[in-house]
Amino acid sequence: MNGTYLASGPLVWMATIAITTLLLAASAKALFLVVPFLLAIILYYMLYPVVRRLEFNGIGRETAAALVAGGVSLLAIAVLVPTVPWLIGQSVSGEEALGRYLEGGRVLINRTLATLESQFGFLKRMDFSAEVGRRADELGGTFMKEQLAQGLLNAAAQLPAVLLAPFLAFFLLRDGRRFMRMIATAIPNAFFERTIFMFDSVHQTARNYFAGLLKLAVVDAALYTLGLWLIGVSGAMVLGIVAALLAWIPMVGSILGCIMIVLAAATEFPNDPWVVYAAIGMYLSVRFLDTFVIMPLTVGRSIRMHPLPTVLMLFIGGTVAGVPGLVLALPMAGVVSTVVGTIGAIIDDPRLHARHRFSKSLEAKRINADLQL
Amino acid sequence: MFSFLKRQSEQSRIGQIQRLGLFATLQPKELRVINGLLHERRYLKGEIVFDQGEEGQALYIVFGGRVLICRQGEPETGRIAEVAEGSMFGELALLDGSPRSAQARAAEDCLLAALSRADFNGLVETHAVVASKIALQLARALGQKLREHFVAMDARPL
Repeated sequence: MNGTYLASGPLVWMATIAITTLLLAASAKALFLVVPFLLAIILYYMLYPVVRRLEFNGIGRETAAALVAGGVSLLAIAVLVPTVPWLIGQSVSGEEALGRYLEGGRVLINRTLATLESQFGFLKRMDFSAEVGRRADELGGTFMKEQLAQGLLNAAAQLPAVLLAPFLAFFLLRDGRRFMRMIATAIPNAFFERTIFMFDSVHQTARNYFAGLLKLAVVDAALYTLGLWLIGVSGAMVLGIVAALLAWIPMVGSILGCIMIVLAAATEFPNDPWVVYAAIGMYLSVRFLDTFVIMPLTVGRSIRMHPLPTVLMLFIGGTVAGVPGLVLALPMAGVVSTVVGTIGAIIDDPRLHARHRFSKSLEAKRINADLQL
Repeated sequence: MFSFLKRQSEQSRIGQIQRLGLFATLQPKELRVINGLLHERRYLKGEIVFDQGEEGQALYIVFGGRVLICRQGEPETGRIAEVAEGSMFGELALLDGSPRSAQARAAEDCLLAALSRADFNGLVETHAVVASKIALQLARALGQKLREHFVAMDARPL
């Protein structure tokens, strides 16, 4: 892809940040729509090659889209029907397990503080261990009672909307390309090539981002599972998958994933701090590998933005739209910067405007040709 | 409700595409894939399709009318070629985004179909056989043009 059609500079940056912030704020207000749309877009990019393959084998686009989206829906139902009752059955024991993990974390903190107190006398004189333990107990109780319950309620409220995702994905698969062509039809001839360049850039940005995210999750999950299994933590695969999915949330996800793995290791090996240290080391190694090797090769390539506005967008996303804002900030900023850059380049090109005016004058001449007496 | 999105006269368009040298080796189902990628554009007589020096994004097929290829801003004195119905121009844009080597203007009211480089690149990923057939035909066409150029310059090809 050639970048000469993209304008850049402080104005483009400012417009990108302003528009993305507005979109993120609007997303926070319409989360019930954003979540299924986001899932539908991920499904679209996963299923699009299958639809193309079916189409190539002589099946019409409508039928191919219906077959693929229908197949995914049936698969989801086949997985959900036995899973939901099992999950409900597990909810009580899940709460118990969480309590056990928090207790394991508390024990780890107490042991670490006791070791520190034995090394540094002033901490013992401050009764540091008891004070921190009391604060941790308070925090743990509040988290269980308020934060966790609220989080689960919010997640449950999104569930019906999530069921919309395959339905939306079907329409994207069936009509997405035709819809783009229809929009291109409405674009004046002078701006046509720039517009198809913009469509392609937007498509590439979104596709690379979401496909990169999926690849990243698979690689991360495999690495975490392998690492935890080697350390000897049970449930390595489940923990690995959850940690990999949490990594989709920039900044916050990494911290949550690390805490989860540390708690699991501390609970299972309360008398062996070296297992916890090994788990932390493994987690940090994977994150390091992720940030500097895997991510630049997958997700990083899709967002063609300078690191400064990228970090700024993450902070703005988190502030105006919370966790969904953190997840959406980068792909949204990538798409908006492409659109703003292309429109900026069109505005800056007087030749294109002259050609458009010339086309309009030709059209006017033709329309008025038989009006002269 | 979505009737406005329905495909129109697909069969007649596929027939026209099939007659083009670039797509001559494609099977009917492969032609359907190509047809799904084309953008139909209408140009009035005298209207500019693209300028010399502009970054090429698409190849154009003439479905109706004629297109003049000329030096920038010299439709009379800088005439290079005229592309008739059933032919194409701007095919180098499929290979890269290098600047257009000449200006293209509608010599009369035209109906064109554009195949973008982005769509062709997508074809390379999803339908490699179709893309390779087109690329081979493109290479043949360019080779032919190169030979004609050498003959015109009264020089021997390398």
